[in-house]
Amino acid sequence: MLINANSTTNRTKILIDEYLKLLSSGIDARKILVLVQNPKKKKEFIDEIKEKLPVGNIGNLKIYSFFGLVYNYILDNWAIIENTIKDKKSKIIPNMCGLEVSQYIFKECIQEVNFLGYNSKTSLLHQLLRRNSLINLNSLKEDEIEKRTKILQETYSKEANLAINKYKMKTIDLRAFDYIRQINLFEFLYKKLKNEFEYVFLDDGDEITPCVFEYLKHIKPTVKEFFIGYDILGSSRLGYLGAININFEEFLNEKAKTISEENEKTKLAKEILENVKNDIPIKQENVDFKPFLKRSEMLDCVLEDIKNLIKNGAKPSDISIITPVCDDFLKTSLEKAGFEFNFLTKNEKLNQNKLIGYILELLKIFNDGKNIFVSPYVLKGIFIELLNFDKIETIKIIQEYIITQELQNKSILDIIKEKNIPVFQKLIEIFEQTRFEKLSVQLIAIIENFVKIDKKISKDIIKINQLLKQIYDFEEIFSNTVENLDLINQLENTIISENPLSDDEINPNSIIVSTAQKIIDYSHKTKYQFWLDTKNENWLKQDIGPLYNAWVMQKKWDKESFDLEDNIELTKDRTARILYKLFLLGNKITLYSSVWDNLGFENFFGIDKFFTFEEKKETTDEKPITPRKDQEDVLKYSGGLMSVSATAGSGKTTIMLLLVEKLLSGEILGNIEPKNIFVLTFMESAARNFKEKIKAKYPSLKELPNISTIHGLALRIIKENNNYTKLGLDYNFEIVDEIKRNMLLSEILNILGISQDKLELYSSAISAYKSEIANYNYKTDNKLFLSVFELYQQGLKSQYWIDYDDLLCYSLKLLKENKDILKYYQDLTKIIIEDEAQDSSEIQQSLITLLGGKNNNIIRCGDINQAITSTFTNSDPKGFKKFIEKSKSVIMDRCQRCATGVLDCANSTVEWAKGQKIDAFSDLIMKPVENKNIVDKNAYQTHIFEKEIDEVNFVINSLKDILKNDPKATIGILLRSNFAINKWDKVLSDVAIKTYRNSDNLINNPVYRICLLILEFIVNPYDIKKIQELSRELYELNLISFEDFQFAQNLQEPIFLNNSPDNFEHQFYWDMNYFLYKNHYSIYNLVFEIGSFYFSKTTNKDNIELVATIAQKIFQSQKTFENSVSKMREIQYKNNFANIKFFSNSNNEDKSAKVQIMTLHKSKGDEFDYVFIPELTQNNLCFSEAEYVLKENSKFIQKVKKYPKNDIELKKEIIEENARLIYVGITRAKKKLYLSVAQKYKIFNREKEQKPSEFLENIL
Amino acid sequence: MIDTFSANSLKILEKDKNEFINKYIHKLSLFKKDERAILGQNFHALICMFLKGFDISKMVSNLDEKEQKIWENIENKLTPIKNNFIEFEFPFLIKCELKNKFYYLIGRFDAIYRENDEFIIWDWKTLNFPKNPADDLQTVVYFYCLNQIYKTEKIKMRYFSLEKNEFIDINFENIEKYKNKIDEIVSKILFDF
Repeated sequence: MLINANSTTNRTKILIDEYLKLLSSGIDARKILVLVQNPKKKKEFIDEIKEKLPVGNIGNLKIYSFFGLVYNYILDNWAIIENTIKDKKSKIIPNMCGLEVSQYIFKECIQEVNFLGYNSKTSLLHQLLRRNSLINLNSLKEDEIEKRTKILQETYSKEANLAINKYKMKTIDLRAFDYIRQINLFEFLYKKLKNEFEYVFLDDGDEITPCVFEYLKHIKPTVKEFFIGYDILGSSRLGYLGAININFEEFLNEKAKTISEENEKTKLAKEILENVKNDIPIKQENVDFKPFLKRSEMLDCVLEDIKNLIKNGAKPSDISIITPVCDDFLKTSLEKAGFEFNFLTKNEKLNQNKLIGYILELLKIFNDGKNIFVSPYVLKGIFIELLNFDKIETIKIIQEYIITQELQNKSILDIIKEKNIPVFQKLIEIFEQTRFEKLSVQLIAIIENFVKIDKKISKDIIKINQLLKQIYDFEEIFSNTVENLDLINQLENTIISENPLSDDEINPNSIIVSTAQKIIDYSHKTKYQFWLDTKNENWLKQDIGPLYNAWVMQKKWDKESFDLEDNIELTKDRTARILYKLFLLGNKITLYSSVWDNLGFENFFGIDKFFTFEEKKETTDEKPITPRKDQEDVLKYSGGLMSVSATAGSGKTTIMLLLVEKLLSGEILGNIEPKNIFVLTFMESAARNFKEKIKAKYPSLKELPNISTIHGLALRIIKENNNYTKLGLDYNFEIVDEIKRNMLLSEILNILGISQDKLELYSSAISAYKSEIANYNYKTDNKLFLSVFELYQQGLKSQYWIDYDDLLCYSLKLLKENKDILKYYQDLTKIIIEDEAQDSSEIQQSLITLLGGKNNNIIRCGDINQAITSTFTNSDPKGFKKFIEKSKSVIMDRCQRCATGVLDCANSTVEWAKGQKIDAFSDLIMKPVENKNIVDKNAYQTHIFEKEIDEVNFVINSLKDILKNDPKATIGILLRSNFAINKWDKVLSDVAIKTYRNSDNLINNPVYRICLLILEFIVNPYDIKKIQELSRELYELNLISFEDFQFAQNLQEPIFLNNSPDNFEHQFYWDMNYFLYKNHYSIYNLVFEIGSFYFSKTTNKDNIELVATIAQKIFQSQKTFENSVSKMREIQYKNNFANIKFFSNSNNEDKSAKVQIMTLHKSKGDEFDYVFIPELTQNNLCFSEAEYVLKENSKFIQKVKKYPKNDIELKKEIIEENARLIYVGITRAKKKLYLSVAQKYKIFNREKEQKPSEFLENIL
Repeated sequence: MIDTFSANSLKILEKDKNEFINKYIHKLSLFKKDERAILGQNFHALICMFLKGFDISKMVSNLDEKEQKIWENIENKLTPIKNNFIEFEFPFLIKCELKNKFYYLIGRFDAIYRENDEFIIWDWKTLNFPKNPADDLQTVVYFYCLNQIYKTEKIKMRYFSLEKNEFIDINFENIEKYKNKIDEIVSKILFDF
């Protein structure tokens, strides 16, 4: 019997009925084999049988999952195998071990085989395990493996096969077989033995692997009848899970019965399958789509929707949440919501369970003969969580340990031995009793003596038993040749993966959270399906690596090659089947997506491209913005090339927003999709802000226009459709972050004997050089630089890194060298809008020109007069100038920001520069906007002081006046260097004026700052100063009350020692105590909790996850809590870590009544009510070619250029840029501008005469 | 909800319901292995292989002295009667009814021996027999279940001590007695949900 039907039908029921018929006709159950897909289905099948059979003997039911059959078959016939092994040893019962043992064995094999030169980021071990698994699941013979090696042109196949063979020999020797290895033994046995089954039932036949099918083929001649149920459209487990499509009709030589239950659901699911396969976006009424920008917003909505469903009568078991990203963030967010969730994903390390983590740490102490220093944080957890010891005493003892460790190298056990405390005595007793015993004995002793076993920890006990089983396996298999400490290490580092014989407990009262595959495997039907993270690429999992290829390793692969297209097609096909099966299991499906993942990285290619929805381009009820007259010209755009020269403060962002709105409404280029609109910003933050503004205007817009930096766009081009394979990049490539890049450069300079203070130089030079190569195909003959460059490139390659310059160069290369890719993007880019065009590099401009090359709708906005980075970066304002000349040029010259006096100052500067033959500016005079600007001829002042102290006092007094009379004013002090920032920071804090350093530093982010302080407090609770600093920060952020702040400032003792009831009324006291004793095993959870506590209701809440992730990543390399915290402090002034950039909202922090100090460069784009630009010496801002001394930086970079500029040209450029720099500074001021200089400054502790900058004298 | 019981779980349920709940519902017991248990497992497997007719000479040669002695005795005892064994490691699943609710008994007979129309259930014990073998729950459950399979009361229960190399036999008494005993214990928990 052959039934082709899907899971909405009663296919399984039919099979069960046939089975019962056989039984009731007198056939012995032992002669009937039932194969189902997994233990859960087995249980369901058996339960049905049990229910339907009458009271009495049910019989010896042979109902198995495939791996269950294998397992039992081997155990039943073990003697045959044992007798075949040609050695003198033997085992009566083989060890059917877990994958942890195999991993350990494989590690040994890898060491024995020399994989010369292999350095893929994905571990060799993982690759070999996958390869081995695929070979076995597909029953590939040696010649078949060889054939595939040729097809894939594998370089390490010989070594890989050697390693696998070694592994097989070792498993035989040890009599230890994991479920994959068991397949080989099973094959050996069934070919030797007589088949005992006369009837065979198979359900979910579409999901079986070739090894199962080989078995069925083998026993077919002696089987009286087969009963097979399958879904010809199914096979969701294609690829690395090993399933293949089998032609059962051919196998049984009979036509399949199709159950004609063509219900709505089946029709729908089939449609979806066809649509996905054929790239036709699906339009479904039953499917809802809720897109968000941030993942936290997405989750908030999911929880709201669940709440509403339950309020309206739905049960938790009616809902399932399906996502490929089941991470800590998801878990913590869901758990906080208060519903019962049941997480079905299994891939986690054992020690992620807190209790097990602490037990393993204690075991390490037991087995550590060398008195290695234990992390105090871990000790605290052990004492409080495991031993239930008093909290305050714990801190005291740990402090004692830290101190004596430095002096006397005592172990913690030595210290507690001396204490006359019962729980410690007990611990020492157990230690003494078990110190030379096996690990399992130690573990059980610890649990039995210290862990209260009751139903509250039943989930922990399950995990502990898993741990115990693993330990027993190791102890038995390796006959105690593995040292306890090594074993602990091994266990800690193995990720527990699927045990196919285990069965998830599904709590009927909870909401299931799982990956798509699990839901399908369990045929878990729910009324409501919530698909999360649909933009995330993990919905379309890749199946290839250097040592395996899940597609080619299929049994039936008959192509002679494997191309990019194959990969795309096969992945799409599988995705179609997964979506098809998912659709069959749910009634109402909602897709949720977020543009950014947890860490702020853009999600690119998920499954939502398969769906299309009615675009509701309705705007919110905000008052529509009416453009000014001078802005209107921009909106008159009707296509083609247009340049927008927008002066400072002219409202450029607003206009761009209006322009995009007009495009969306179809008024400009007709009906175009959001995906055809490209907007390029300069900064990541600008892109994010722009996206948020569009989203706010069009809340129901399902798909946003493409708004990103050029690097974001370049990354997308490289990743989309696996284009990177055309560049020879590994699919694992990563963009190197600043910290790692600097470390690489630093190492290289060391090797070549170059001084470390040239790091910045070489960094910029490399970036410039890459640009030269891309533009001119050029090679420098500067030998020293070339050596650095070559080592740098090698370094990148060996880690599968690319840098930011590579992003641009590679994407350009892709477009230039591949007609199909170029066509794809040119068709897609119907219009491209660029902001800050004056800062655009040559490559960026080439990219824009290429992308817009078909439709030729390119709008570039910028202000030549504000190009202030061209002398030290790759920005190329001349390119923008040229574009202005050849395009329709629109000028926005009305500045709404500055007071009229300030405008005068700016315009005079331009005039003056012209007079001095400094070719810095375009002919753009800034004009005020009617009735908008503050009219004040005296808005700016210039002062020349005799001494530095005079200037300082002037600024201070002016500031005090401002703060008194205009308390909500924003104030900026703009300086020439970071060195000066430090000076003014100190100067102001000495007179108690609050400052705010504007920089992208990690420490600038309040979440990072506060979490770090609290972490440092936890590391050293005796540090009262830290508590005081913390309380000050919290108070300034309005997160604690004034009373609490005072309480902390008045502390005389460490806070946790303070047991006086007076302190109990202070929330701060409770909070600090809580964090001190809250023992999270993982630093991620701790930081997440601290961050959530203070910031979850603030605009910084999206940064909580980022900080927690940074802490976690640091912990992975630092290994201890204490080292991680120091490292976090060490990198506080870096701009980002691992390319993670904080979400910032310019309304994030209240900047009024604080003086913002920054460099002139950093001030671009910003504005302040009052602006001070002091220290305007000729040194700082030179306009005389004769007087100006070129810095080494500037000359250095020329050395690697094809058309290097000579010194005169360089000086000219720098002077021009200086003019623009001061222009930018001036145009930041809204109300008042103060320019000043003194004639004497202290430089390196000596007073020196300084000439005022030339321009200042003129403005005066 | 629990509706499936083994002899062991019934013993615990009879002794202490809470212990039963902790062990079988909340799954709170630690998975402990000990040397004796391993010895027992090994001999069960060895005997089963022997009775099935597999060649176990290699495995036997690797036993230690004490174990070899034990094996020798077993082999001597079993070889002459080998052919009368009809089942080895024989799993059973029996459906029972109690006041309109169903429950299931599971377990595994070490070996079933048949001579004419009489069945003997052999059970290998490492050292000691159960204290009160006639009333021991294992006896009760095994008798009841085998009765349900072969529909006869001509059943004996034979506990065989491997180390002592001796056995005791229990005779089948009364099917109702066994069913009532099992019902009595099962009812402690079956109607709780």
